[in-house]
Amino acid sequence: MKHTVYMTPMPVRIWHWLNAFGIVTLTVTGLQIRFPDYVNIFGTYKAAIRLHNTAGVVVSISYALWFIYYMFVAGTLAKLYIPTAEDIKHGIFRQAFFYFYNYFLGRPNPHHGTPDSKFNPMQKLAYLMIMIILLPLVIVSGFALMYVAPMRELILLIGGIKTLVSSHFLIACCFCAFLFVHIYLATLGHTPLAHFKPMWNGWEEEDDEEDQAAQGNDAAMRH
Amino acid sequence: MRVSTMLLILAALMVSFTGTVWGAETENDRCLSCHGNKDIIKMGGERLLVNPVRFAATTHSFIGCKTCHDSVTPKHPHDGAKPSKASCKECHAPIQAEYAKSIHSSKAACNDCHNPHEVKSPLAVSGDDINAKCAKCHDAKKTVKSHTKWLPQADLHIEALPCITCHTGSRNYVITMSIENRKTGSPNGDFKLATFDELARLLPESAAPGKLIDKDGNGSISLKELREFNHKVSRHDMRLWGMMTPEVVTHSYQILDNRWDCTFCHASGPKAMQSSYVAFPDKSGGYTRLPVEKGAILDILYGTPDFYMLGTTRSTPLNILGGLIIVGGLMFPLVHGTFRLLTRKNRKEHQS
Repeated sequence: MKHTVYMTPMPVRIWHWLNAFGIVTLTVTGLQIRFPDYVNIFGTYKAAIRLHNTAGVVVSISYALWFIYYMFVAGTLAKLYIPTAEDIKHGIFRQAFFYFYNYFLGRPNPHHGTPDSKFNPMQKLAYLMIMIILLPLVIVSGFALMYVAPMRELILLIGGIKTLVSSHFLIACCFCAFLFVHIYLATLGHTPLAHFKPMWNGWEEEDDEEDQAAQGNDAAMRH
Repeated sequence: MRVSTMLLILAALMVSFTGTVWGAETENDRCLSCHGNKDIIKMGGERLLVNPVRFAATTHSFIGCKTCHDSVTPKHPHDGAKPSKASCKECHAPIQAEYAKSIHSSKAACNDCHNPHEVKSPLAVSGDDINAKCAKCHDAKKTVKSHTKWLPQADLHIEALPCITCHTGSRNYVITMSIENRKTGSPNGDFKLATFDELARLLPESAAPGKLIDKDGNGSISLKELREFNHKVSRHDMRLWGMMTPEVVTHSYQILDNRWDCTFCHASGPKAMQSSYVAFPDKSGGYTRLPVEKGAILDILYGTPDFYMLGTTRSTPLNILGGLIIVGGLMFPLVHGTFRLLTRKNRKEHQS
């Protein structure tokens, strides 16, 4: 038996795709900005920089909306994203064991997502890193790089512009790496596209069986 | 007249090169005994004052005062005659001809930018000093504003480039770093170029400012010496500030078309940025630069922590690290996906 659930409300979907488009734009323009002698996608260097700055502002606003919503409006930020003591003691290990062993044997996913508990312990940890640490860092370093002269004192405080650029670049590489893992994990639903559909139209098809084996990472795209 | 002046200059140069500069120095000293003294301002204004230390460092001091002021008689200043002044083009004709063709020539004469009693070679002038000369006419704030229309972070660009880098046919770009400090009495003020006296106070008596970084005094700065300096000053109110400066400059003031293209500087690749110097202030108000070991500009943390040119000064080890992070991310789908493919039967069996 299968039924459909309205998993992803429209504002979340708009937020997700705006963010996705912004991050891909930032990655591609960033590639030209760092390697202009090898990469020229946007015609001129200035065009790449202007687009990178614009996409950076869009992603920053989108991040601010996300943060304000989950922190102050819904108030579920800590609940959704901070691993519990149980998650740290057993949950993360159990989930990793599922992804790297039990999944291949066809055994069930130990986590089943509900609107109150969207993420499994590994997802919580990953998104905590991404949304609470890396994204704010890349945004702050990005703004400092957009206004180097006015922000000089801040830049000196963290060890100079090279530390700033290096951090910005390495975090961007982490996002790039995350993107590959994120898209791949989203294919681990009961069908490869099962988790992509709700991020497009909101509705997810679910098996009634609770112990559905191939339900790995069932909330990867619900974020 | 011009030929005779040239001969005189040649003679003066020959005298100086053969080591018998005694004559010229005596003559200069005689003039400077009055013109080097501030009391002369009372007699005819500041234009009569010549700073003896600064003048001694100029090439003009070698040819002597009388070469340019040849009408001065032994009775000066009591003869009532106004001393003659040589025009710059008498010696610098090719530069004058080049300058005459530039868009700048109708706006400023040589003396508006160059004080003949304090002239320095292009390498002995700091980028800040060059820009300060331009700012005498081109208001700094307005210049930033007009550049902002097309140049991202115009304020930063103008702080890190002498105007002549883009507005003359300059060549041979290197990175020149200068020591900057916060001035006493304004601990939160902006960083400004450190003066000779300020640096001399940090060193034993009579040590050249270069010794601040060039500890072994071999006339060049190793990466180790640079790192030690940067590490030490990061806790104090001092820093190295890098500018991209041309070694060869021209007087052909113009707006060069290729400078509108950011990649003129930003895509020349890391190899172009291997040559760097630290310029130390002299007593004379000029600068003496010491070469830095290759690689300083690309060193990730301590080489030049406050200098970075997008697209040009990227560090290879950092690129490799970034690449490994991305490959790591890519490996997960590849490895997991392979096992997933090989074990797909297990999941089908479970479903059925």
